[in-house]
Amino acid sequence: MMIAKVTGSLVSTEKVGSIVGHKLMMVEPFRLDPQDRKSLVSTGRSLVAVDTVGAGEGEIVLITQGSSARLTPETKNLPVDTVIIGIIDSVHVAQACVYDKKGQEARGEG
Amino acid sequence: MRIADVVGTVTLNCAHPSLRGASIKLAAPLSWDNLAGHWDERLEEIAVYDELGAGVGSRIAVSEGREASMPFYPEVKPVDAYNAAILDSLEYDLPNNERHNNG
Amino acid sequence: MFLGRVMGHATSTVKHPSMKGWKLLLVMALRADEKTIEGDPILVVDSIGAGKGQTVVITSDGIGARELLGHKNTPVRWSVLGIRDP
Repeated sequence: MMIAKVTGSLVSTEKVGSIVGHKLMMVEPFRLDPQDRKSLVSTGRSLVAVDTVGAGEGEIVLITQGSSARLTPETKNLPVDTVIIGIIDSVHVAQACVYDKKGQEARGEG
Repeated sequence: MRIADVVGTVTLNCAHPSLRGASIKLAAPLSWDNLAGHWDERLEEIAVYDELGAGVGSRIAVSEGREASMPFYPEVKPVDAYNAAILDSLEYDLPNNERHNNG
Repeated sequence: MFLGRVMGHATSTVKHPSMKGWKLLLVMALRADEKTIEGDPILVVDSIGAGKGQTVVITSDGIGARELLGHKNTPVRWSVLGIRDP
């Protein structure tokens, strides 16, 4: 799994029948800042993911990729390879907090 | 499995029902450069499902892809990275003549 | 399947029950020239006693690994299929 940020939703009118009714989101996989490992930064990649948990734009989420993306009742019959499986509350590295959802929302960055 | 060092923990606020109560660790996979003691370039961290109780600093074997969900079979969980072993020791020679494929 | 060179091994006490008693080799996957490293270090289950420096055939067949370990819940995917003759 990877940590990712939801950067928006995706609208597609013309799509294969099996995917109708499923919400597609744009996500960017994140990693620790390679310089100081004290914050999360984008990898610069962008993926389209199907959502199972009701994630919203700006939220930091957990994504599963590959054939494991089909291992939920919601996605087992979908031709998808990336799924949002959780909304992240916080990420701690050693004793330090590198991401906190409440803190981010309090600062109006959510 | 790839080798990774556990660097932190991920707490979920709202998770897929099949992942409730799961322990998710943040782990940094190791490259050959890292094994040779060069830490200027690190691979992207991954979130790993942990049932073995690995702590920060543990060196683990991470199963990735479809096999990462096999421990739960016949239950299905959308897991693509699983802590298969906490390593006690890792004994190895470093590559010397070999080049890395960066492509 | 692909070729790899055995570079070392790992030991572990706390691990998935399916891996009890199995040797874990540290393998470097090789490209066609057998000089260029492909990807990251990997840990591979070995049933035939491959040793350091040997060139081995690695299979990524998860079903094969489940049969080899006799455990349908194993998270293992990579195993040694054979040692290439020198």
